Amino acid sequence: MIPYHRVNVLTGIKAARIIEDAAEYANIILKARRPLLVLGPRLLEWSLGGKLLLSYALEIAKAANIPICATSHVKAKMLELGTRPDSVYDVVEIINALKDAEWKGVRKEGNHDLVIFFGIRTDLGEQGLSVLKHFAPHLKTMTLCKFYYPNANYSLPNLRKDEQWKTFLEALIENLKKGG
Amino acid sequence: MAEIKEITRRLEEVHRKIKAEIPWEPVGHTPMPEIPDLRNWDMRLLRNYAPWYAPFCDLCCLCTYGKCDLTETRRGACGIDIGTQQGRIVLLACLMGCSAHAAHAGHILEFLIEKHGPDKKIDLGSAIAVEAPHIRTVVGLRPETLGDLVTAIEYVYKEVTHLLDSTAMGQEGSCLDYESKALHAGMLDHVAMEVADIAQIVGFNYPTSVADTPLVDLGWAAVDRTKPVILFVGHNPATSTVVIDYLRENGLYDKVELAGICCTALETSRYSAQAKVIGPYSRQLFFIRSGIADVIMTDEQCIRTDMPLEASKAGSALIATLDKAMYGLEDASGMETSEIVRQMVEGKKHFAILDPRKAAEVATKVAMTIAPQRRKEWLKEEEAVELAKKCNVCGMCEQVCPNLFNIGAGIAEVAKGNFDLLREQFNLCVGCGKCEAECPRRIPIFKIMQVAASKETWKIRAGRGPVMDTEIRNVGAPITLGTIPGVVAFVGCSNYPDIRDVAEMADEFARRKYIVVLSGCSAMVAGMWKDAEGKTIYEKYPPDFDAGGVSNIGSCVANSHISGAAIKIANIFAALPLRANYEVIADYVLNRVGAVGVAWGAYSQKAASIATGCNRLGIPVILGPHSSKYRRLYLSRKEEGDWRVMDARKKQIVDTGEPSPEHLAYVAETKEKAMVMIPKLCIRKNDTPQGRAIKLNHYISLYKKYMGGGLPEDLHLFVRRDADIPLVYKKEVRAYLQEVGWQPKEPVGLPTLIGTYPTKVPVDAVIH
Repeated sequence: MIPYHRVNVLTGIKAARIIEDAAEYANIILKARRPLLVLGPRLLEWSLGGKLLLSYALEIAKAANIPICATSHVKAKMLELGTRPDSVYDVVEIINALKDAEWKGVRKEGNHDLVIFFGIRTDLGEQGLSVLKHFAPHLKTMTLCKFYYPNANYSLPNLRKDEQWKTFLEALIENLKKGG
Repeated sequence: MAEIKEITRRLEEVHRKIKAEIPWEPVGHTPMPEIPDLRNWDMRLLRNYAPWYAPFCDLCCLCTYGKCDLTETRRGACGIDIGTQQGRIVLLACLMGCSAHAAHAGHILEFLIEKHGPDKKIDLGSAIAVEAPHIRTVVGLRPETLGDLVTAIEYVYKEVTHLLDSTAMGQEGSCLDYESKALHAGMLDHVAMEVADIAQIVGFNYPTSVADTPLVDLGWAAVDRTKPVILFVGHNPATSTVVIDYLRENGLYDKVELAGICCTALETSRYSAQAKVIGPYSRQLFFIRSGIADVIMTDEQCIRTDMPLEASKAGSALIATLDKAMYGLEDASGMETSEIVRQMVEGKKHFAILDPRKAAEVATKVAMTIAPQRRKEWLKEEEAVELAKKCNVCGMCEQVCPNLFNIGAGIAEVAKGNFDLLREQFNLCVGCGKCEAECPRRIPIFKIMQVAASKETWKIRAGRGPVMDTEIRNVGAPITLGTIPGVVAFVGCSNYPDIRDVAEMADEFARRKYIVVLSGCSAMVAGMWKDAEGKTIYEKYPPDFDAGGVSNIGSCVANSHISGAAIKIANIFAALPLRANYEVIADYVLNRVGAVGVAWGAYSQKAASIATGCNRLGIPVILGPHSSKYRRLYLSRKEEGDWRVMDARKKQIVDTGEPSPEHLAYVAETKEKAMVMIPKLCIRKNDTPQGRAIKLNHYISLYKKYMGGGLPEDLHLFVRRDADIPLVYKKEVRAYLQEVGWQPKEPVGLPTLIGTYPTKVPVDAVIH
């Protein structure tokens, strides 16, 4: 599959597994011992069904008790919505920490084994995922945006209709709440 | 024995070239440094700021063994791994950038030596005695004439060859050594840029030793299209200056409109304030497709490679004036002028003309002949609406957009008669034209944009060249003590997330009494914004290199004067000798000069090279989000980093635990994040308590403004003693420090990295 934004086209061999089933996504997240949700500024710009995308992200975090790393200026809106991020780094900084297998993670419990990216600009997100693909064999990566990210381990396909994305995110939250 | 003889012979040769017998300063440890000479300095930097590699491509396709898959731990047929391959590509990019400037310098030097002779004195005016800080520091030469500059540029050529050699298949095998070489290339680039701009200032009599340069018209609508229009595109002023001379000599100067895009526009306006600056590279295709230019003259760098095609489509005549970009055109340098004009007018043929005098005459005659026959009307609103109605919102335009925005939505709105979204999107457009090329219905998106695009005009201050020694004397102490919170340089190309960002950032920091300097396309777009009183930042702030001043230093090659200003602080204020003394000067800049570069729209290899040169000199650089595609950043790990320095007074190694500057090459995802990172990267270990309190005041207040309140999560790392805490936040910060278990730290008298890694430079060399 070709990524939605062609500047992110894969020139390599190893590409993300495309998953469309929210239950499967939820299972992967729930099986992870120390997942991390990295939230980007696009979550402040996009809405689905009149609900800010950041709200979906916060519900996902809450449903599975996933720590949050707020990048860029996401923290401000999170505080406004009543949630304090577990850590604040910009995306290149958190990726720099994640690629160190010995890093203690945002909760000081050890490095994360699954990193879920949501709301990062696609070119920067794809480059960041490339760092982890090559230099962080100790963890897996996942994306929640409506675009295909070939450098991730698990990615959604390009979703043409926002309704599909909304349905997926709502189902993911439900599955996480149910515990898989 | 043979080795010692060889070293002695080389040193004698170097001393001859740099005229070591002239004792203006003692010759330092690294005259004309070669690849290994500054390697230990580089490795010390890279220990703190390890390369962060984001492979843009997982393969290597540079030799016939490949393509080789380098994913994860795989190695190519030659043994190379993915990290080393990234270092190799980064070095290649830096070499492309350095070569572009070095070749520019070499060409302009040859041109001006032919015009003035090699003995033409370098005189940058009464306020500039340290004329060439990079050449003095790197090469070890104090250039007195144009001829002396040849020594400097020949040194660059030689080093570039050795560096490029290392990228051949089967050579270097370490990413860190590739980085050291990239840092070397970046340093050479600043020497090359300095050669180019000194030669230009001297040879073209550009403004120098003055801050208050003329205000020049800016914007595509500033061009008087009722006159014949000659457009210059690129970087090298050899052509445009000769055209101006020709028009003046022939009494035609008021009859022909001259305009420029990209850095050649800045160069031309330094020669004549009457020339118009259309804007940055991102406006190139847009303006050419407007058809306003009767004749387009290209020189070098940042020119579209499809220029003949685009010129023909617009009905403009094209003259390629430099050998670097000849587009397969017939070289008419030896042809009769009248015959060239005839073929261009009657046959609509484009030519390469490498003789500037001839090119000037041809361009003028062709422009004056064809201008009256050409229709230069912009599209009307109703025509745009009709064209937009062909859009079926397929989304292909969005998918190919490098700035990732949906111009199709803007076109769809135009089809309904609403131009607002497209008007907004014009500010996001990086001008590549991929949307239009991809459109299955061949909708002329750029033409439609003409209707939506702002017809506003602005003012830009003409490039001023080097910062004056007198200014350095005034600001040297407050910068190194921290009471002027920093020097922020907005530099580089126009691949902006939003064209308005640079003006907004420059305004924020000028208002906060930082020293703001600009160059290249950034200098242009900073002028494309007006405050509530209708003033651009060039009209709003004084043009001085001083707290709250906003200076346009000049074109791309003038970037050397920005980094040169940091060097001059070490020399003029701190009295450190420059001559072949690179490590000491770079160490001084890294630890004491609170300067940061912001290359918000960087796209070119030149920007990669300039930034890497800044990094070797100890100046951190912030890049826009797309710049992760450069593949490499230099990031620290903050608390995990090695922040030990030598206290040069006590001769003791001290672990400061302070990550300053935190990163050397950093990508910010948003303008908001950049706004917070700029003041942080201006923090230096040498700050006095008063200076640190001022810097932290800005860091905290910008954090609160853009990050939504609270205090920065890493604030405790930058507070050394209670006196560092800004008065206005005293209570809040003290409470925070108590909460995180902060402990005060001993002050460091004279922080330096010298003495913390193997070097020939003694620690005493940093004491002034």
